[in-house]
Amino acid sequence: MPAIVTTGITKSFGAGETRTSVLRGVDFEAEAGEMTFLVGPSGCGKTTFISILSALLSADGGALSVFGTEPNRLKSGDLVRFRRDMVGFVFQQFNLLPALDAAENVAVPLIIQGVSPRKARQRACAWLELLGLGAHLGKLPSELSGGQQQRVAIARALIHEPRLLVCDEPTASLDAETGRQVIELLREVSLNPERAAIIVTHDDRIYPYADRIAFMADGRLTHVERPDPARIPARPIRGETQP
Amino acid sequence: MLGIALKMLFGDIVKMLGLVMGIAFSTLLMAQQGGFFIGLISRAANTVTEAQGVAIWVMDPKTETAEGPTAMRDVELYRVRGVEGVRQASPLVQATTTLRTPQGRSSAAAFLGVDDASLLGINPRFVVGSPEDLRRPDAIALDQLGFSRLWPGEPLATGKEIEVNDRRATVVAITEALPGFTAPVIVYTRLSQALSYVPGGRNRLSFILVEAEPGRDPRAIAQAISAQTGLLALTTPEFQRRTIDYVLNNTGIAPSFGVVIALGAVVGILVTGLTFTLFVNDNLKQFAVLKAMGLSNWRLLGMVLAQALVVAFIGYAIGLWIASGFFDAVNQPFSDLKGFWLPWQIAVMVAGATAVIVSLASLIAIRRVLRLDPATVFRG
Ligand SMILES: Nc1ncnc2c1ncn2[C@@H]1O[C@H](COP(=O)(O)OP(=O)(O)OP(=O)(O)O)[C@@H](O)[C@H]1O
Ligand SMILES: [Mg+2]
Repeated sequence: MPAIVTTGITKSFGAGETRTSVLRGVDFEAEAGEMTFLVGPSGCGKTTFISILSALLSADGGALSVFGTEPNRLKSGDLVRFRRDMVGFVFQQFNLLPALDAAENVAVPLIIQGVSPRKARQRACAWLELLGLGAHLGKLPSELSGGQQQRVAIARALIHEPRLLVCDEPTASLDAETGRQVIELLREVSLNPERAAIIVTHDDRIYPYADRIAFMADGRLTHVERPDPARIPARPIRGETQP
Repeated sequence: MLGIALKMLFGDIVKMLGLVMGIAFSTLLMAQQGGFFIGLISRAANTVTEAQGVAIWVMDPKTETAEGPTAMRDVELYRVRGVEGVRQASPLVQATTTLRTPQGRSSAAAFLGVDDASLLGINPRFVVGSPEDLRRPDAIALDQLGFSRLWPGEPLATGKEIEVNDRRATVVAITEALPGFTAPVIVYTRLSQALSYVPGGRNRLSFILVEAEPGRDPRAIAQAISAQTGLLALTTPEFQRRTIDYVLNNTGIAPSFGVVIALGAVVGILVTGLTFTLFVNDNLKQFAVLKAMGLSNWRLLGMVLAQALVVAFIGYAIGLWIASGFFDAVNQPFSDLKGFWLPWQIAVMVAGATAVIVSLASLIAIRRVLRLDPATVFRG
């Protein structure tokens, strides 16, 4: 059974006159050890859908299993713990905490889990070294370039070894070359037989990095493609990425 | 997470300073006005506070305050002396008069005439000279404040001549006295002397000061005096209380200070509330990210409260520091504001008020954070 399975997910916003149906029955699967891209026109519901996968939103209807857990059935305290332990997030706008330096930002998920700040920082530094940011550990986000900030955000998304990685337009705020480097790095460090990575993107130049591409339109999944494996840039995919 | 909360706070230094200053300002206003209020009303009882060794104050039942006595007949002194448990009873004549220097400077003063023999009721803090000097003819003891008013800029010295109601008096000693309420300058002299300075005939006793027999309960003796003489006899603390209550009930002091203090609290709530809400609003996205990453509402609440408490503490410390600096600066022997201080009870009350102010001010911000939808992290 695939790591992530959804059937007939529906979601609408508002009530009465203004009620809009955003997801109209999404059937979706994603495998661990793969990068699944979610693509489609603006407003088709991609962000809404990954919010449901990552337990930020609850679905109105349908069934959903994430590594055997059904977030729709969790109580609110368990939902918080589910996000804390199971999910890593990467955002278009990086969303680093501006008052914390790079290493502190990366350490936040561990601190939320209760790891001591000192230990958390040590592990954060190791992750940043791995991502080539060893020289920038003590810099504030405002002192880093967009590509560097997004690499910090990737380290933050992975430091607590989440089984689900969700990225919403991770390259949209970056120039083409930086975007390519970031997705390459993401592929290199995030892929792991225990982890499913789901990446929402508009950027078709990075499609070759996908294991699968799921196309959405108007609140539904229309079809899934496997890009030509020959086009995936030849890079060793590491099974074990923990620094 | 507390470390992160504090970094967020100090990362936004402008708002942080705004918060600290809002709280410091309201702390300063409340502490300064509170201390001022206490200092001012306790002035009314300062002549009672200063009278050393007096256990019981006997007065006409119509006397309400230490500074506004109704005169009693001289014979009452002997009746009080006859009461069991009274070790010594001495007369005190009190009046407010004007002191005048030959150079034409003048100052109002509270004139206290104590028993010629015992000098009971005199304040013991003599800066120049001693109580015994009062036994000389025309002798008076003036306090430092009065001296600086009558001879501004001159070094403290005895032997100066002044006029009291067209009669000559010589300053033979200088005391350090707590100022009175109606007249801040305090003058001590012998009773016989006082009677010659202050117009009127016999039967002008203001108070009878009683020393109790050792080991006897002053309260019981006071009751015995009241019962046997029909006069009002109060222990020293009771009389201080009665005087201050009278001032509180018969002047606008309490309400007018109350208004300023309440204003300080309201300004504190508004400034702090507004700034803190702005601060949290600016950081809402960050709180949403933390919430998305699995930080519980309880711990978010802890972060916001920690931020509020830290600014409250810093603001309170600064406000109290400035207020106590103010009181240190004004509480000088020659200052018109001498005798004002910052009682620790006021500091504690202001701390409580600050805690309430900050709690109220952070309510809106806390509500925002608790209701924050973590799904907004994906929205621009
Ligand atoms: N909280 C909400 N309340 C009301 N409407 C919402 C809410 N969230 C999303 N929508 C609407 O749902 C629709 C789908 O939004 P969603 O963000 O999921 O699309 P998307 O595919 O991610 O689009 P884009 O590519 O522009 O990011 C949009 O019309 C949006 O306005
Ligand atoms: Mg979107």
